[in-house]
Amino acid sequence: MRVAERIKNDAGKSPAAVAGPSAPTTGSGSGRKRRGVNREGLEAGRRSTRTLLWVLLAAAMVLYGFPFLYLLFTSFKTPIDTIAVPPTILPKEWTLENYANALGRSGVVASFINSIQTAIISTLLSLVLAVPAAYGITRYQTLSGRIFIMAALVTRMVPPVAIGIPLASMMASMGLADTPIALSIAHTTISLPLSIWLMSSFFEAVPRDLEESATVDGCSRLGALWRVVIPVVSGGIAVTAIFAFLASWNEFLFALLMTAIRSQTTPVVIANFQTQFGLDWGSMTALAAVYSIPVILLTLLLQRKIVAGMTLGAVKG
Amino acid sequence: MSTRKTINRFVTIGGVCTAVALAATGCGAGGPSTTGSAGTSTVNVLVEAGGHAELTGVAEQCKKDAGVNVNFVELPYDGMFNRLSSEFSSGNVSFDVAALDSVWLPSFKDAVQPIDEIFTDEAKKDIFPALVKEANVDGHFIGLPAWTNAEIILYRKDLFEDAKNKADFQAKYGYELAAPTTWKQYQDIAEFFTKDGMYGTDVKGGVETEWLAHVLQAGSPMVLDGDKVVIDNAAHKEALDFYVSLVKSAPSGAAQVDWAAAQNLFNQGKTAMTRFWAHAYRQIPKDSPVAGKVGTAPMIAGSAGIGGVPGPWYLTVPKATKNTDAAKKFIKCAYDNNSMGIESSLGLASRISAFEKYQDKAGYESFGPLIETLNGKATATRPATEKWQQIVDTVLVPMLQKAVAGGDSATLLADAKKQIEDLVK
Repeated sequence: MRVAERIKNDAGKSPAAVAGPSAPTTGSGSGRKRRGVNREGLEAGRRSTRTLLWVLLAAAMVLYGFPFLYLLFTSFKTPIDTIAVPPTILPKEWTLENYANALGRSGVVASFINSIQTAIISTLLSLVLAVPAAYGITRYQTLSGRIFIMAALVTRMVPPVAIGIPLASMMASMGLADTPIALSIAHTTISLPLSIWLMSSFFEAVPRDLEESATVDGCSRLGALWRVVIPVVSGGIAVTAIFAFLASWNEFLFALLMTAIRSQTTPVVIANFQTQFGLDWGSMTALAAVYSIPVILLTLLLQRKIVAGMTLGAVKG
Repeated sequence: MSTRKTINRFVTIGGVCTAVALAATGCGAGGPSTTGSAGTSTVNVLVEAGGHAELTGVAEQCKKDAGVNVNFVELPYDGMFNRLSSEFSSGNVSFDVAALDSVWLPSFKDAVQPIDEIFTDEAKKDIFPALVKEANVDGHFIGLPAWTNAEIILYRKDLFEDAKNKADFQAKYGYELAAPTTWKQYQDIAEFFTKDGMYGTDVKGGVETEWLAHVLQAGSPMVLDGDKVVIDNAAHKEALDFYVSLVKSAPSGAAQVDWAAAQNLFNQGKTAMTRFWAHAYRQIPKDSPVAGKVGTAPMIAGSAGIGGVPGPWYLTVPKATKNTDAAKKFIKCAYDNNSMGIESSLGLASRISAFEKYQDKAGYESFGPLIETLNGKATATRPATEKWQQIVDTVLVPMLQKAVAGGDSATLLADAKKQIEDLVK
């Protein structure tokens, strides 16, 4: 029996039973006392470990969460408060002025639409390409498949700045300059390798028996993929979609190089609040806070799928 | 289910997705077109985000006067140089007019067209001499200064006019407390106000322009004299020693202080004086503790007189645009309506007559000192080398940071000379 299964089976049993045949089951009063003391010691140890873990967890949460909270608080500060020396965490006076300034700026609404459009197209492209690629690689196990997946990994190592300018020139020569499709294709070059790797690990976790059973029941190979495998890895697809969406949603460099009037996305507009003549912290943080809302909502919406997807890839059958 | 059926389903879904994607990307949400087609009266103007407001009024006026519609392509300063390099080198430009920082002009001089016809004799008289000189590259004018700036002195009028401060200063230094005009006065006043948690001034280790202004005031060209590297001469050392001497009257961490930090310190009331770009005067927040208490004065003078480094932006027409006529019409509009920039949030212009028109109006007290600084005897633009940005980033700023942290000025300047010689050879 595997260790994980044994732990799971033992979970409902008494400590004595769990201890196994070598553990003493009877004894004197002093033995019971000693065991009682040991159990108390063990409990105390567990409590302190748990406390330590909670402290570490809280520290990690502060570390990750504080910058965002600071951004959020700054977005409600008055102009002079945003540049206070030394800085303050909470606004002295709460105001929505920064949100009005940021959202009232020309081009902001259009940039939001562009960001959504680009991220959706890029996510769709990534999934449409990554799902069959990953399925083929994991199921056929060919040499070319292995080379392909390694090559996909290598493309992740190339700094985006190295391909940004050639990619922008290529798109311009194809007549796609300043279009969301050009930016989506560029973003897909970032998310596709990761999507293939993620989907490969999810497909590997699906027992082949499932497909074979479906085939026995009359499904074709593609039918088994569509009707059986894809529903099983839907959590994994959600995780992959989230990563692909986020990669596009937050991307800045390609957007800077490839967009102008028609397809400028919000990260570039946020950066525009820092100019050679000053930094408008309040408006910048307000727009950044608004821009975070869709991805936060998306993550909450797909939370269950994400957790399911994460665990799907973690344990192989 | 048969394989054919499944394939059909995949093909249908894929087709729908592709159709949606293509339909959605026919054009983005920002506007109808990126590049102005040949002969149209619409121009795309590439501009740094901070300068956009400067040209908004001009664009509206240009539509009325010349029938030229303007779309602005707004980019952050840090990414603009890369974008310009990429588009100019590919020969495919997404804009018909580009507003270029003066330091980029030498780098892109071959990618933009001459606009000599705009520089009439009358125009040349109405633009600051240093800018006329800078705009002329290889015998042709390639950029019209849309707006310009220079560092002036901003000081706390309330502290300078305080009777006790005046008396104490007189007693300690033997002359009247007033806006500084010389290096010595600046040092004394900075030292005097460094007390009770306040500092006399800031020292900016993260930027080079201010030190370069002091080099000019000390009587030397900045860094390069023609092809010769002169950064180790006496004037550079004198300017560096003066710059570093102010560290004791400035907040700690001078090596990291840049424009934004210095502006914050002054607007928060932490420093009594700052040498800063003139536009900052009109950008003091209304709720700042120093709002309404700030005075302005021209940049201080060294042995060579008042000297500043102008910070103009030039409107240029790329050779690759198909819309040259409309682009030049827009530039002419920008010249004719130059004073409209003063009404914008940045509040700058490039024509002397535009600044003079406003200098006596309330709220524009920075213009008099700005005009005086831009006309200063020692005022000069940065060296016209395409390596300038590289020299700044890799040599000048690191050298200043070491200097304000206590490095030996002569050694640092000698090292800088070697590095710059390697870069420009």
